[in-house]
Amino acid sequence: MFEILLNHYPVLLKGLTTTLVVSLSAIALGLVLGVLLAFGLTSRYRLVRWPCGLYRSFWRGTPILLQLLLVYYLLPEIGIELAPIQAAVLTLTLNTAAFQAEIFRSGISHIPAGQIEAARMAGISAWHTRRRIIMPQVFRLTLPPLTNEIITILKNSSLISVIAVTELMRVSEQIASRTFQPLETYLAAALLYLAVNLVLARLSAYLERRMTGGLATE
Amino acid sequence: MLDITLLWEMRGLILQGLWNTLWICFLGCLLALSLGLVLAALRLANPRLFGYPVACYVEICRGTPLLILLFLLYYGGPSIGLRLDAEIAGVVGIGLYGAGYFAEIYRGGFKSIPKGQLEAARMLGISPWHALIRVQIPQMARLIVPPGTNQLIILVKESALISIISVDDLTKNATTIVNQTFQVIEPYLAVALLYWLIIELIARSGYALEKRLANRQPRQAAPQGAPPHANG
Amino acid sequence: MPTADTLSPPFSSRPKSIVEAQGISKQFGDLEVLTDIDFSLAPSEVVCVIGPSGSGKSTLLRCLAFLEPYDHGSVYIDGQLLGYEDRSGKRVRTSEKRVDEVRAPVGMVFQHFHLWPHRTALENVTEALRLVNGLSRRDADVEGMAMLEQVGLADRAGHFPESLSGGQKQRVAIARALAMKPRVMFFDEPTSALDPELVGEVLDVMKKLAADGMTMVIVTHEMGFAAKVADRVIFMDQGRVVESGPPATLFRQPKSERLQQFLNTWRERHID
Repeated sequence: MFEILLNHYPVLLKGLTTTLVVSLSAIALGLVLGVLLAFGLTSRYRLVRWPCGLYRSFWRGTPILLQLLLVYYLLPEIGIELAPIQAAVLTLTLNTAAFQAEIFRSGISHIPAGQIEAARMAGISAWHTRRRIIMPQVFRLTLPPLTNEIITILKNSSLISVIAVTELMRVSEQIASRTFQPLETYLAAALLYLAVNLVLARLSAYLERRMTGGLATE
Repeated sequence: MLDITLLWEMRGLILQGLWNTLWICFLGCLLALSLGLVLAALRLANPRLFGYPVACYVEICRGTPLLILLFLLYYGGPSIGLRLDAEIAGVVGIGLYGAGYFAEIYRGGFKSIPKGQLEAARMLGISPWHALIRVQIPQMARLIVPPGTNQLIILVKESALISIISVDDLTKNATTIVNQTFQVIEPYLAVALLYWLIIELIARSGYALEKRLANRQPRQAAPQGAPPHANG
Repeated sequence: MPTADTLSPPFSSRPKSIVEAQGISKQFGDLEVLTDIDFSLAPSEVVCVIGPSGSGKSTLLRCLAFLEPYDHGSVYIDGQLLGYEDRSGKRVRTSEKRVDEVRAPVGMVFQHFHLWPHRTALENVTEALRLVNGLSRRDADVEGMAMLEQVGLADRAGHFPESLSGGQKQRVAIARALAMKPRVMFFDEPTSALDPELVGEVLDVMKKLAADGMTMVIVTHEMGFAAKVADRVIFMDQGRVVESGPPATLFRQPKSERLQQFLNTWRERHID
């Protein structure tokens, strides 16, 4: 296993970089979409709530592999040509947006209604209430589930190897077929995934400790 | 437009995929549920001896993709003399992977029961085993049903990965149909619908079970906090 | 240093003791919570253990029940060593099953009741009858109802613990322990978690038990109860037995300064 790591570390690192770039861009893009969706899900208007709910239901209720295949094969049919890596980022983004929306929705629902009422009574606009009062707290409240989501997306990014994106998993397959040492190779890859995820978990725990100050526990 | 007749013509493949997905998921989840309970019970019984190894196992499951585990079992296994059919590798992979998550879920349940209740049982001469099945598990059940249901759903969705190690499951057979008919939407949508149906079934059963358990004990309201969440 | 005869009734009136502890001590990490305690309990004797919080009185009771394994010394229940056995000169822990066997004559009531919330009052009482004594559901129910009757709660048989008051919960817990026909009852601060107006109903049940000749060890803060019901009171402080004797002597003529202080503090608080 360590032999594989030593002999093939340049390709493995390149694969790992792709894994990280794809996952983190999906997380970042999904965050924007997720926040919008969360507000859509908590909207006063049924016409907004309903499609947002349907979106969430589909992307949370079907296997991500199926979603990837659907996006990858469907887009060319309607005349959109995407490179595999773009299709991968798109799928992961659309998927994680649904999960992040649910995380934020739940976070928003945990903010005492009195705070929002107090803001509105003080004449703070709805937009400012969201931006200055709700969201800063929501990010702190949702850090643990958000970290889980990042780790999940990192793990799930392994399956974009099926549409030939040369990330960590794909690179490992290539090494395995060249060296005829599948066991050692996949163990090495597992170790890399594990290391990244452990670092992420630690980082999040550290951030959470630092951010707990001033948080309404209600 | 959607071509329903195409699906009818391909019903054999779809049904075969459904059957394979169902039995592999069933056995895999069963393995995950039981192995997870064993891990949690070991950790509870002797934290000094098993605490660290079980915690490591849990971290490994949480930190590595299921796909890697499946590849290790299916492609890596033979180099240590472990030759598994793809289906069996799927069951074992889902089972081992899920066990790590379930061990944590059970642990949360065990921890939620005040120690004094067990002491009361022990003082009456009730054996540790009876205390486990009569005092701990019935109370845990209510707490672990929601996250447990959630985890089962994740495992079913993740089971789509077994198609990559060549199991003819729903996802694999959908791709086969796509390749044969050059129609993308119908097969994938049909299969997505089937997954959604399975998942909805699990979710509803979990919900019904939760309600039944809650009726038996009108006690505390459902634990507050962010709803269980995980992607898959 | 307390000796055996300061702790037990005079030898003449002393039959074989049901519970006997010799030189037990217990540490939590670096903290010594019990130091070299001797204790013995005769049939039908009622002993109250008093002392400031943190004095080790609850730990003593828990060690006598082996809910906390004691580190040194020995505890005998009916002449049988509890929790340990000699194996070729070395002392080793016995199996849980053996602990259950030796401990069988002991019933215990806890400060926080520890009823099982998923079982009704009656089911709490019958659970052990069915699991341990192997009674059929019907026989266990008859027996259980009799026990609930004894604590005045037959009409609450079908209630879950959450719908009972604290005093009722504790009475169910007493019935649960009594159902196993114990020869000794241990009470670990049975009224400390109760609202003041609910203390009386629990103490009444305990008085009745004492009058019926039940052997009891009661860790308590209820001095009035101790004075009326106990045959002997033990005052503990900092993990040691400081004084013991009949309540009349102990409460009227405390010898040690620490007991005097303790009683004064208690009086100040209760005369206000």
